[in-house]
Amino acid sequence: MLTLFRLAFLASCLLYLVQAQAEPVAEFFGRQGSSHTNNWAVLVCSSRYWFNYRHMANALGMYRTVKRLGIPDSNIILMLADDAACNPRNKFPGCVYSSSAKTLDLYGDNIEVDYRGYEVTVENFLRVLTGRVEPSVPRSKRLLTDDRSNVFIYMTGHGGNEFLKFQDSEEISAFDIADAVAQMWEKKRQVYLPSLSAPTDRVLNACTRYNELFFMIDTCQANTMYSKFYSPNVLATGSSVIHENSYSHENDRDIGVAVIDSYTHYVLEYMESINKTSQATMQDLFDTYDPAKIHSHPGVRPDLFPRSLRDTLVTDFFG
Amino acid sequence: MGKVQDVLRKVKQKLRGDGNPTVAKIRRQRALRDRLWRGLPFIRLLLFTVGYVWMLVIPSSQLGQGTYIDENALQPGQVNMYWNWEEVHRADQILADLEQLRDRNATSDEIAQYSVAVFEKLGIPARTQRYSFDAVGQVINGTNAYAVLQSPRASGTEAIIISASWLSRTGEGDGTLNLRGVSTVLALAEYLKKYSLWAKDLVFVISDGYLDGMQAFISTYHGESQSNMRAEPLSLQSGVVWTALNIDYPGHSFSHLGLFFDGLNGRLPNQDLLNSVSLISRHSAGVPILIYDHIDPREARNLPSLLPSWFPKALKENPDVQEYAARARNIYRQVNYQARGAASGVHGLFHQFRIDAITLFAVPANGPHGFHALGRVLESSLRTCNNLLERLHASFFFYLLVGPGLFMKIGSYLPSAILVGTAMLFSGLGEWINAGWIHSIAQPAQGDHEENKKVATQAAVVKWRTRHRPVLQPIVIMVLTHLLGALLFFLVSSSWFSARRTMNGIVLFLAFSAIPLALSQVVPPSPASHASIPAVLKAFNLCFASALISITAVLNFPLAATLAVLLGLPLTFAPTSPPASPVPSRVAKYAAYATLALGWLVFCPEEVRKAVWNWEVLRVWFAPFVCVVYVPLVLQAGLVSLLPS
Repeated sequence: MLTLFRLAFLASCLLYLVQAQAEPVAEFFGRQGSSHTNNWAVLVCSSRYWFNYRHMANALGMYRTVKRLGIPDSNIILMLADDAACNPRNKFPGCVYSSSAKTLDLYGDNIEVDYRGYEVTVENFLRVLTGRVEPSVPRSKRLLTDDRSNVFIYMTGHGGNEFLKFQDSEEISAFDIADAVAQMWEKKRQVYLPSLSAPTDRVLNACTRYNELFFMIDTCQANTMYSKFYSPNVLATGSSVIHENSYSHENDRDIGVAVIDSYTHYVLEYMESINKTSQATMQDLFDTYDPAKIHSHPGVRPDLFPRSLRDTLVTDFFG
Repeated sequence: MGKVQDVLRKVKQKLRGDGNPTVAKIRRQRALRDRLWRGLPFIRLLLFTVGYVWMLVIPSSQLGQGTYIDENALQPGQVNMYWNWEEVHRADQILADLEQLRDRNATSDEIAQYSVAVFEKLGIPARTQRYSFDAVGQVINGTNAYAVLQSPRASGTEAIIISASWLSRTGEGDGTLNLRGVSTVLALAEYLKKYSLWAKDLVFVISDGYLDGMQAFISTYHGESQSNMRAEPLSLQSGVVWTALNIDYPGHSFSHLGLFFDGLNGRLPNQDLLNSVSLISRHSAGVPILIYDHIDPREARNLPSLLPSWFPKALKENPDVQEYAARARNIYRQVNYQARGAASGVHGLFHQFRIDAITLFAVPANGPHGFHALGRVLESSLRTCNNLLERLHASFFFYLLVGPGLFMKIGSYLPSAILVGTAMLFSGLGEWINAGWIHSIAQPAQGDHEENKKVATQAAVVKWRTRHRPVLQPIVIMVLTHLLGALLFFLVSSSWFSARRTMNGIVLFLAFSAIPLALSQVVPPSPASHASIPAVLKAFNLCFASALISITAVLNFPLAATLAVLLGLPLTFAPTSPPASPVPSRVAKYAAYATLALGWLVFCPEEVRKAVWNWEVLRVWFAPFVCVVYVPLVLQAGLVSLLPS
């Protein structure tokens, strides 16, 4: 009799505890914030040669920012089409600067370039996004996202109306990227998940490859590149509208070429004010766009994105 | 659908008339041919007029466009230049050494050894190269010095050549020394070695003489040999050369940098190199740029006007006329160099190996610039050349530079020569057709006397009939004239001729004028029923000359334009003499043509010497061209007027 009463008491205590925890827990999981658990970044510089130094500086600047805000190297795919730091024309060998003050070496310590040189191709980029890589491709070169990953894709290079030039020999079109992202949304990935009943079974888990995707592109006529997305949960922004060029920001007179593009420069400048705990929203970021300073008209495409931009933190994608 | 076809048929009937459509077509074609034939003199006149007027209009201020940088990789003028007074001081020290060498009449070997010593002390491997040319009775000797600064971080597959010749290009190599140019190269070597940002090997060349030294060097570098050249092989290797800069600094200071760009046989470097150096000089170093050494009298008031004194004042002060005169001066000089196939400087020897090269000529003046400015221009230009990832290919290879920063694309000037060639072609075809027909007036049948007189005048029927055109004889005549030309060339380039040029020039002139005269006596006249030989010869002559002008126009426009001017009207209007014309008049006409063909032997012995030297040493084909192609063509026209038709 007493045991029964004690059991009931214990059960009710447990229930109460669970209930007590449930509220803040439910609140934590149920608030109108992002439902992601991990962040990934894919940073692509698609142009090679010395005079495209600024594109590599763009990508490296974004890489540094993303790392500073907390995404580890294992979650970053950095694709650089050429090696500006070790180019024989570089007056500062082994260094890549994004401003002529040369205070910050972007190629300093701890850089992990995943796809380098001629490996940066349209095919590899699409394979990375869709996950259709050869079995021999190492883990560091795979985008191992799941349905709780927020993915940040940043692309820079020479582009035009609905295309981006890769490596001087091929192009990727806006349709290709849109289709790849669509595949990411629909992609069913095999997940090795042994169940309790059958430890050696493989269970096919249906899960998309991203929770939310933020696409940023800095090229000429960049906004045309995101015009073809049709998958949900995609937020996109670009540096210039159709028929408009994107301009470089600054030339360094010792390196001899332009070192950073306008749009990326101002975005990175804003990001310097963000840290890991910042509550700044995406709307704040987009509000800093100033066409007069950037010399082109950046655009935003929020229609596929479910949440309001005022509720989306910058660190949802960048950290 | 059927109705539409009906309508179409009715329209066609109205336009073309009833009856057999084939007959109508043939009638139409005949009518067109007749109209063309009757209009031929007019068409010819029109083409000649447009062609020649176009040539005169080329320097107009309304034509031309601004130069621009086409190759994106170049990025000229984007770098800081750190060449400063220390480097200038070093250049001054080297200059003092060179002046000492000059003052004690040092030999070529000693000068080359000095340069090698300077390079070696800097740690840049350097060697000398002895060479000798057997040219036109003289032996040209010399010693080049060269050094290869290997690219510190790159593989050295490509190279940039920085050169200075011992003799300056002043007066086309009249013996003025280029001491400061050599000092600049040596001081540059020391300065450039401090930087590790060279993606290409830097090859420094101090070539001996004016053009001969570099010819020996660059031919040996590319593995080419000449029968009359003996040059030591190069023991230091480097990569493929894409660009080359030659420095010519004869005076003490300079006010402008003149850009010289004409190459052998009328080749030009890619315009991007010129434009880059021009931009760098003007914007980064503050040194104004000139085309050649033509200082514009509109900027330097102390210089005499380009226009002759007898020009009316109103025209002289008209800005368009002044612009025309300035451009015409530039174009004339360019035509002068390119038509003769002569290089305007050492850079001209590089173009044959697909190397884009120019000479930076420091126009002597009391002016503000010296080693400091020149060094900075060169430093920035070399950084720009360093940025290249592939050979210059984007900008123009065919252009007329009409002013610093102004040029004309090929489409703006090429048609002028082609039009003249076309006019000659039409003339030739007209002559050919003419030669194939003979007309005779047939009398009507006899009748009453009085009636006959009236009828006779009215019914005189002009009948055309074809006649045979002799082809073999004119072709044999043409071939013989060309062989004569080859013989002329052989004699002109022999040492016998160069011994006493003026005297022998007159001898050759008389001899080669007389030979066709004598040979024409043995030409059998064609029978009356056949076309006359001179007529057919004129047709062939014109067609051949037209083809020559058109083909040359796309290779070397100035040469084609010169041919168009010299050959156009004389060949087209070569008078064929009727059989009854007296011999003296025919010989007089022939003599005029002979003077046009061979007069240069008498009047321009210096040009002949230069042309032969260019052929011997540099393989410029102007001299053989004149002898084997131009002279025979004009002699053929002379024969047209000499032979009785």
